[in-house]
Amino acid sequence: MELGLESPSDVRRLLPPGGAQEPARAPLDPGSLRCLFLDLFGRPPFEAERAIWIGKPRSEVVDSALGTLEFWRTWLDEQLFYFLLIDNFRPATEGVQALPAQLAEGSIGALEALHRICLSSSFDRRNPGPDTFVTVVMEQLLGLEVQRITRELEIGKKVYDGGRGTFLGRSGSSQADVVHIAIEDRRAPRHLLSREYERWTRQAPSEQDLSAWSTVLERDPLAMRSILRAWLLSRAYDARLGTRVPQPNRLFIRALYVDLLGRVPDEGEAERLRSALDGLANSGPLRSLVARLMLDSGKVPLPGRSSIPDATAWIAGLFERLLGRSPRAAELAAFCEAFADPACRPATVMYAIISHPEYQTW
Amino acid sequence: MTILDRRRFLQAGAWSASVLGLAPLGAQAFPRNRTQRLIVVAMAGGVRTRETFGTPDNVPNLMRIAQQGVVYPRARASNLGHFGATLSIFTGISEARGIRDNARGTDPTLFEYVRKDLGLAASEVWVSTSGGVQEANVSYSLHPDYGARYGANTLDGDGLFNAEFKHLLDTYGRPAEMDADELALLQKMRASMGSQDGSSHEDADAAARVERFLMDELRRGTQDLKGLGAADAKAFRVARNLLAVFRPRFLAIVARDADQAHGSFNNYVQILRRNDEMLGELWDAVQSDRELADSTALLLLPEFGRDADLNSRRGLDHGDGSDDLNYVSLVCVGPDFLRGESVQEEVRTIDVCNTACALMGAEPRYARGKRLPRLMA
Repeated sequence: MELGLESPSDVRRLLPPGGAQEPARAPLDPGSLRCLFLDLFGRPPFEAERAIWIGKPRSEVVDSALGTLEFWRTWLDEQLFYFLLIDNFRPATEGVQALPAQLAEGSIGALEALHRICLSSSFDRRNPGPDTFVTVVMEQLLGLEVQRITRELEIGKKVYDGGRGTFLGRSGSSQADVVHIAIEDRRAPRHLLSREYERWTRQAPSEQDLSAWSTVLERDPLAMRSILRAWLLSRAYDARLGTRVPQPNRLFIRALYVDLLGRVPDEGEAERLRSALDGLANSGPLRSLVARLMLDSGKVPLPGRSSIPDATAWIAGLFERLLGRSPRAAELAAFCEAFADPACRPATVMYAIISHPEYQTW
Repeated sequence: MTILDRRRFLQAGAWSASVLGLAPLGAQAFPRNRTQRLIVVAMAGGVRTRETFGTPDNVPNLMRIAQQGVVYPRARASNLGHFGATLSIFTGISEARGIRDNARGTDPTLFEYVRKDLGLAASEVWVSTSGGVQEANVSYSLHPDYGARYGANTLDGDGLFNAEFKHLLDTYGRPAEMDADELALLQKMRASMGSQDGSSHEDADAAARVERFLMDELRRGTQDLKGLGAADAKAFRVARNLLAVFRPRFLAIVARDADQAHGSFNNYVQILRRNDEMLGELWDAVQSDRELADSTALLLLPEFGRDADLNSRRGLDHGDGSDDLNYVSLVCVGPDFLRGESVQEEVRTIDVCNTACALMGAEPRYARGKRLPRLMA
């Protein structure tokens, strides 16, 4: 059963000492809303969502998001990427496919979701053989440096092969036991919370906080939602909103589709583009190429020059929507001057913003 | 100062510093040599010597290439997972990394040493891989003195050059050509936003060349390479085309398909044979170009081997601690190397980094390997 941490006082129990505050009540500006949506849903808000949420407190968006299928789909995608279960290794089994719905309705906990992922045939195919399988379980689920505990690895390999052994302090005799034992190890919730906190807030948790959250998650396997809520309303998340880092390719693709085409890419489109962009250490040139192809394809709903009565307002609106901020005076002047030239198309203006490094951060 | 002048200068500097006791002897470049370009092939899916030099029929091209150079049949490797062990080749440090780690290392790579010390542009240092998202991390480290600004261009042929991706791009058609006026306006708008990535005009030009290469490569049909071992085959084919277009000073190929050995020994052997064909194609392309033939060296090695015995699926894992796993064969061929030699002395896979740096005139400041013995003619 969930902790039911819905009130501010309940939330405070999960917040770091000294970092506690009332749930974020400051009205969301376009930039914060864009970042929050990218974090929660792996995409920027659609136009209708911007209209609803700009000016509302962060807590309202967070509370609305945490029960949705889309949020947990995004969460699951992040976990699958963490295990590098992508492309041909993406699990297609019903057990894994059902996870977002079960997580959204609160009938399954985050650790149990990882458990199911690691028992999937895709995980087995991705990590073939006892050495690879046991090593990955120890590293990815528990955060262990296997080279320092090779004896445990050897026992795990024996268990994987069907032999009886005491792996991580518990008896087992099968490949599935290797996963069960790891999931039930106290280091599993701790490692999950540590990496997740860092993903959401871009900072490492303190030992004290990590211990407190781990205890909560051990006591209540369904507490991840409440813990996430607390993180998203914390000062640490405020601080995260003040930072910008380069977007991973998978996020860039989804943002580009929403911003240009007004839809999220389907799974095939997203995987193909991500796989291509991930194939380059510097994906900048290919990102630009994809953006240009889309802009020039005729599929992007761009206004004609003649249907833009107020170029200044149109350009300022693009900055706000695509970058989450108003243009600076010099930028607005330069863009307006350029757009006054007949050689500059509306697509050129869009391309200037989208191909700029700032657009590719969040 | 031209690149060559700078290189001479750096080599002289390294020699002077060493004589004066300011730099370790290992940091010295080899004496002046003809090697101007280097290709490092990491057969990074785990390959035993038994299926290569132990079964010459599997690798006729490797055999003919090796006869022209030096073979080290006892190159000590560490089973650090494919990613960690591959990274070790390029950093010269045994990297204990998680098998599914998807992050850059902290130790500078060979590419960073070479680019920084020789002042090479990004377009002169390339990595062609088949390993997907993880392998892009080998291109540069997070080391504060090195990092992205000295990284290699990395290109995963299988991710980029596949029919589905091409089809996806085709659905959007071709981008409209920008005339000079529009391009100038675009640059003006972008300039008003500041170049937050610190990119220069030279970087922009290099990016445009890469963009053109990608489009051309999609037209050349690399995506039509299919079947078992196609990802590796694309890595080799892309590498060959990179040589022709960019004529890079440093080119690495990371081939990962051999790891299918876990599930099938037969597939593993078929992949080795296909890789051998592609290697032959690459080497013949080098040899048929007089400039490249006279100036290009090749170092080829697996990151580690595989188990001595088949597993229950009639495949080969990697984790038994046997000599089959821990020792691999390293092949070095180039205009300055001895020919037809086999050096029985034990060396390490991490020695590739120090040797490559010495050949190119760079200093691997943090690497812990050594220069390969009995290599130079």
